[in-house]
Amino acid sequence: MLNLLWILLGGYVAGILLPLCFPRQPNAQIITTTTPAIVATSAGVVLGLLGLTSSEPVTGSLASTIPLLTFAIRIDPLAAFFVLTISLAGLAASIYAIGYMQHFDGRASLPMLGALFNGFLLSMTLVVLADNGFFFLMVWELMSLLSYFLVVTEHEKAEVRYAGLFYLIMTHVGTAFILLTFIIFFQAGGSFAFDTFRHPEQPLPESMKTIAFLLALVGFGTKAGIVPLHVWLPYAHPAAPSHISALMSGVMIKTAIYALIRVYFDFLGGQFPWWWGFVVLVIGAVSALLGVMYALMEHDLKSLLAYHSVENIGIILLGIGAGMIFQTYGFKEFAALGLLAGLYHTINHAMFKALLFLGAGSLLYAMHTRNMEEYGGLLRRMPWTGACFLIGSVSIVALPPTNGFVSEWLVFQSLFLSFHIPDTFLKLMLPLAAAMLALTGALALACFAKAFGISFLALPRSTHARHAREVPIPMRIGMALLATVCVVLGLGPMVVVPLLDRVVAPFTGVSIEGQVLALDGWALATMDMEFSSLSPPVLALLLGGLAVLGLGIVAAFGGFVKRRYYKTWGCGINLTPRMEYSATGFVQPIKRVFSSIYQPTVKLETEFLHESQYFAKRRRFEFHVEPVFQKYLYDPVLAFVAALAGRLRVIQAGSLHLYLTYIFVTLIVLLLFAV
Amino acid sequence: MPLMTPSIGSQLVDLGSALLLLTCFAIVAQRRLSACVDLFALQSVFLALTATLVAFLTGIHHIYIAAALTIVIKAIVIPRILKKVIERLNVSRELVMHINVPASLLICGVLVMIAFLITQPIISFGHLLTRDSLAIALAIVLIGFFTMIARQKAVTQMIAFLVMENGLFLGAIAATYGMPLVVELGVFFDVLVAALIAGIYTNRLQDAFDSVDTAHLSELKE
Repeated sequence: MLNLLWILLGGYVAGILLPLCFPRQPNAQIITTTTPAIVATSAGVVLGLLGLTSSEPVTGSLASTIPLLTFAIRIDPLAAFFVLTISLAGLAASIYAIGYMQHFDGRASLPMLGALFNGFLLSMTLVVLADNGFFFLMVWELMSLLSYFLVVTEHEKAEVRYAGLFYLIMTHVGTAFILLTFIIFFQAGGSFAFDTFRHPEQPLPESMKTIAFLLALVGFGTKAGIVPLHVWLPYAHPAAPSHISALMSGVMIKTAIYALIRVYFDFLGGQFPWWWGFVVLVIGAVSALLGVMYALMEHDLKSLLAYHSVENIGIILLGIGAGMIFQTYGFKEFAALGLLAGLYHTINHAMFKALLFLGAGSLLYAMHTRNMEEYGGLLRRMPWTGACFLIGSVSIVALPPTNGFVSEWLVFQSLFLSFHIPDTFLKLMLPLAAAMLALTGALALACFAKAFGISFLALPRSTHARHAREVPIPMRIGMALLATVCVVLGLGPMVVVPLLDRVVAPFTGVSIEGQVLALDGWALATMDMEFSSLSPPVLALLLGGLAVLGLGIVAAFGGFVKRRYYKTWGCGINLTPRMEYSATGFVQPIKRVFSSIYQPTVKLETEFLHESQYFAKRRRFEFHVEPVFQKYLYDPVLAFVAALAGRLRVIQAGSLHLYLTYIFVTLIVLLLFAV
Repeated sequence: MPLMTPSIGSQLVDLGSALLLLTCFAIVAQRRLSACVDLFALQSVFLALTATLVAFLTGIHHIYIAAALTIVIKAIVIPRILKKVIERLNVSRELVMHINVPASLLICGVLVMIAFLITQPIISFGHLLTRDSLAIALAIVLIGFFTMIARQKAVTQMIAFLVMENGLFLGAIAATYGMPLVVELGVFFDVLVAALIAGIYTNRLQDAFDSVDTAHLSELKE
């Protein structure tokens, strides 16, 4: 297995270095940077599968000359699962990049883009493999910095620079909290090795455990994009090139989920008071709901997808939070189910979100705009992209027979099992979370009805859309790969659940494979068949059967109907794109219903004809959603920091002599102290 | 070794160090830049002599090499570079000073006292024959630093920086009979490069502001 790891490392390094050998040959650069990445990610997929099935964790380490740092890695089922997730999404993104990188020829340095891409994948893989706190922080920071440079690829645009800066600051604030978490563990064990984090010499006192819990939640939560730390995400993820957005939104935020599970269930031993799980659950529910609500109001396709990442992280945290609560009350099987549901949704979200971002990238490639109001009628012009995007949309809104449905169903089930909990408060709260999840699901459906409908159906709304062409073949392969994975993950829980069970079992101490799978694996059941059960393959067969039935009826009786091909009837007027629903109009009812959350500002200006006030010459409609978190949470903090910096500016006079004096006085004072 | 007893050797090393310190005061008091450069060269010669003395007394040969390098680089090459810079810039005097000469000398006296105060506890533990030079070395470093603050012309600041470097070299000899040769070679190279870079920088400063007064740099602020 370590040989595979060397192939993986070698592949990424080759992908970083090889393009430098071909100056001024864009095609050679693209091939030499993506091919090694494809090899490395394929190795990663195999490595992940082997790691998931091997009985013992594989470890390896290289010593370093820096104290406290060893380059230690450990492939246990949890790490292997995330390596698999990262590599699968990475594989699709690498294939996609062969076509998509041509989009950047002449606008950005291709070797640089390729090197950052490879380095980013490598650093994410190492984050989940690291077995030493110091090493982890190093690669974590590397991951953050590389993704920052990827975000600012198009740095000539002001809004991209703003997004990059925002991201850079937020991610460093997060890293500071993570550093503090690790220092708490380091204090107890005296070493940065994860093994001493797991089994410290003297166990951490309860108060320190609580602090570690909160610090880790804020630190990793910033990266994961939990509400209210999500604000950077809708800026940064869309600003990056699309195959990078796919990785950032699909995979990078998952490394935070990995780290949270590692800290809570592994380092802290899965022993925690009930309110820890409750906090995670509440954050999950709020993130899910607010994420999808803000997504609804976005007309920039990539920002919309970025907000959906917030939503899906919320769903994952709902599963994990439920698992944590069950763990507290000693329901090990239920805890395992919650955790399993969360992890299942993690890989599912990685796949369909990467797919959707690649789809959005294809639209961007074809039309050079991210504004949905300029799309329309694309299904006819870009059938491959349309089909893949549709599969991704169906997955994200959790409709059978795709993967999103299975994992969200499992999350629901683990929430419904809360009636076993003796505490009345929690007995009430968990179903409430389930209700919020249900609302989230409904809104997500509305959102993707809008995203798909406005983009792909009806008439083209702009000349760009009218002249759109299908994207190059590598890009189609990349999307098709992910679409296939989405369907396979949805139809094959009998393969996925046993693997996930191996991931979860070490943390809960029980294997629930037998209890979740029923009927030789052809159906899913939660704990027992009577409570609830579901068979995705049968469901798919039924759906397929219904479709066939419908077509059959049409074929059987359709012969009697006289067919006539004509334009859609438009009340006697020729249809134009201006008659279509706009994205803004589509979500108007939802905006009305939730106006207390959106706090919208609407501006309507009308310019009348000179001759008569009854005829409008031009109407201008503006609509903004109030960025509540930014306005009430971030702006005051920013203002405070800026004011403080303004005060400090006095000592930064720019005079060389003054600076020398500072150093000199400090030196003298310190020397005198030493005496 | 029969030529001198250790106590006489120690006294001689102290004498050399004291001469170094004296040149420091001279540099602080001197307004003419070319004279400052000459004084720096003189100080470097004293430093080389002291180092040779230590090498002779202790029998550590690589200090001879360091001493020879001191003569070549600090007493010959760098002063030449500095003279050229002064010629090209056509500045001969330090006209405006942040702190005038008498006050500077007084402050330098205080700095010497501080240096002795700080090193007293360390010196009492020492057993090397150079141990008293440590206080002087620290004093030279502090005075060099102070000169950088008190003077405005970039050339003077360069000289002050080099004086600090001399102090550090003396300190290394005083504390441990010199650093390993590799380190010393590295340091010499660094100093040479620093002098070259500072020379270029001074020229650019002259071009940009028509002056080598580093106070102008504050204009670069937003």
